[in-house]
Amino acid sequence: MTTSDLARCTLVVAVVVVVQHTLLDSLRVGGAHPDIMLLLPMAAGYTAGPERGAAFGFVAGLVADLFLPTTYGLSALVGCLLGFATGVATSGLVRSSWWLPPIVAAAATAAGMGGYAILGGVLGDSTMLRDYLAPALVVGVPSAAVLVYPVLRMVGWALPAPGPGYNAPAGGGAR
Amino acid sequence: MPPRRTRRSRRSRRGLTIGILVVASIAIITLDYRGDAHGTITWAKRGAHDALAPVQRGVDDVTRPIGSFLSGAVHGSALEKQNAKLARQVSALERQVLAQQAIDNTVRSLDRLDRLPWVGGIPTVTAEVTALSPSDFDATVQLDKGSRAGVAVGMPVVGSNGLAGQVIEVWSSGCTVRLITDARSTVGVRVGPAGNLALVQGAGLGRNLVVNLVSPGITLSKGEVLTTSGLQNAQFPPDIPVARIVSYSSTPSATQQTVTARPLASLAVVSYVDILQWQPAQ
Repeated sequence: MTTSDLARCTLVVAVVVVVQHTLLDSLRVGGAHPDIMLLLPMAAGYTAGPERGAAFGFVAGLVADLFLPTTYGLSALVGCLLGFATGVATSGLVRSSWWLPPIVAAAATAAGMGGYAILGGVLGDSTMLRDYLAPALVVGVPSAAVLVYPVLRMVGWALPAPGPGYNAPAGGGAR
Repeated sequence: MPPRRTRRSRRSRRGLTIGILVVASIAIITLDYRGDAHGTITWAKRGAHDALAPVQRGVDDVTRPIGSFLSGAVHGSALEKQNAKLARQVSALERQVLAQQAIDNTVRSLDRLDRLPWVGGIPTVTAEVTALSPSDFDATVQLDKGSRAGVAVGMPVVGSNGLAGQVIEVWSSGCTVRLITDARSTVGVRVGPAGNLALVQGAGLGRNLVVNLVSPGITLSKGEVLTTSGLQNAQFPPDIPVARIVSYSSTPSATQQTVTARPLASLAVVSYVDILQWQPAQ
């Protein structure tokens, strides 16, 4: 990864953080809002494969955790696992279908939110599973399916193609 | 197709990468959970909030109309009902204004002595709500006053009608407040004619509060106002209105009554609050 790749990744994470905290946080339905931060590791795994997806998800999670009152590192753990899992699950797919990214985004968001709530429960905060997970899923999953396209574009611009032998998706990945 | 050895080495490299990242994440979580790196993490969080705050304000000025439009689209029918209700209230209030003016002078002089009866002599900092919770897993708001204005972790936050929450994070230009509707929030209150102690527990933003530890023998009434208990080492000063009872029931074999209450502060639409410069005893 070159310095310009790093700069691009930093810019994408910064833009997504600003969009999340200035626009999406105030779009509330039943107390929950769309979560674009969870789409970053998914998009990285989808675009650049499991390794880069995991690394990107880890860093994006650390940044996301800076703004959350929950235990530091939770989003980083969820992010790296999500990026890795998305990369592994989609690496064998021919990704020219327009409907594939929304499905992957919805599944990844559901898995990410579930994982986040379970980890919170493991750390003694049962309210995440009991009180918050259901509304978060109801709002987060459909909105992820809609928001995935711009996020894939941005992450595809930031992350270099992982090299020969990897099926770069249409609409993102290779520059 | 890549040779088998290349595929195996790629797979083992992937395994190593994810292994290192998972171990690093667990190490960070452990350090924060145990409090070993609390200072560093708090410092980093404050820095991040301070860096984002001006960007947030700038972007907010530009995007507020868009956000309001989208929010309006989502809550359209609720806003229509609210508008109709407000219109009725405005006409009723206009009739009251003339009668009110006569007693205003009296109220004003009393107000000077004791502005909010339940705040007493505690100094306050008025703050504006700048952002709602950044996470779907808690009910918090962010305010525009922080350590520079004398705000500290643990200070109670009140709306015009009652308790809104408690400060849980502070940076130089802002703070995060856990609302009383947050499922992790617990407030000690007095209930019933004898002032028995009970606990008010949040159940998530927009939902009624649950009142625990109310014995079956205690006489309750709908609309009864619950106030903070103010016991020794309590998290809040005494006698701050918290919520109004909306329902209660009990079965013969129950060890406690099932009681729900609605917060007095309008937490969904709160825009300005007072931070009480009072800290719980350590």
